[in-house]
Amino acid sequence: MYVLNLATRRQFGLLLGAGLVSPLAPKPLLAHDGPHRLEVEISKFRFSPATLTLRQGDSVIWTNRDIAPHSATHTDGDWDTGEIPKDGSAEIRFDTVGKFAYFCVFHPAMKAEIIVESQ
Amino acid sequence: MFRTPFVIALISTMASPLMAEEKMNDLEIAHTAYTAGQLDIRYAHLALAVSENEAVRDFAETMIRDHTAVNVAAGALIGELNVTPQDNALSQALVSGAAAKRAEFMALSGEAFDCAYATNELGYHQIVNQTVGEKFIPWATVPQLKALLSDALVTFKAHEGHAEAMVAGLKCTS
Ligand SMILES: [Cu+2]
Repeated sequence: MYVLNLATRRQFGLLLGAGLVSPLAPKPLLAHDGPHRLEVEISKFRFSPATLTLRQGDSVIWTNRDIAPHSATHTDGDWDTGEIPKDGSAEIRFDTVGKFAYFCVFHPAMKAEIIVESQ
Repeated sequence: MFRTPFVIALISTMASPLMAEEKMNDLEIAHTAYTAGQLDIRYAHLALAVSENEAVRDFAETMIRDHTAVNVAAGALIGELNVTPQDNALSQALVSGAAAKRAEFMALSGEAFDCAYATNELGYHQIVNQTVGEKFIPWATVPQLKALLSDALVTFKAHEGHAEAMVAGLKCTS
């Protein structure tokens, strides 16, 4: 069984979207039962759940159920899903421990947060 | 023959009275809802041409993005039902009221424009939301139209809140 080397993983920082993951990066095999993909639904101009806690290496998939396009955009600007149209999804992997406040760049009153815990 | 009058309260910032005195049918409701969205898109294009305020420009871009999305959905429903929306007195009042407002706005620039645009957006969304929520949704008989109007109302209410924040942020006098 592989155990994640945190020192190595941290160097990769935050990887935005599966397409941006370097092919040279080791496949993240995590000490718990592997990386998870957690879902946040955007509906009626709310992120649900508003607070989501996950482990390093997990991904979040935002799915928009509203007619209006939305985004999930890190408040400090480190990551951004870009525009998510109705019934569209966007995925971001979180490899850095911390608390990340985010909002919808089109509707700034929509706010939520992601908490990334270490393994 | 008399029909029960349905009177919609006037908002002082509106250039012309917006009244739905008589119950409208589905095709009229669809026409007016679509028209209201198109007019807000037109206001937004004017704002993007004139305003240099970031909050105002962001708001205008959101109006274009969202009202376009709602009207694309409305167009798809109209196609699916194979119907033609009906022009009506309320749509016409909205169009002429907006034309008068645009003429007024075009004489303005800078903060005066921003405040006029922002205040009008707040008033416009308030009256449209009241009309959609209290009249159009109860009046609509086609379930898909009712559902679309309900989804649209969630969007327009978010816009109303956004407009409120924009007006507060601009610190307009009066
Ligand atoms: Cu949004």
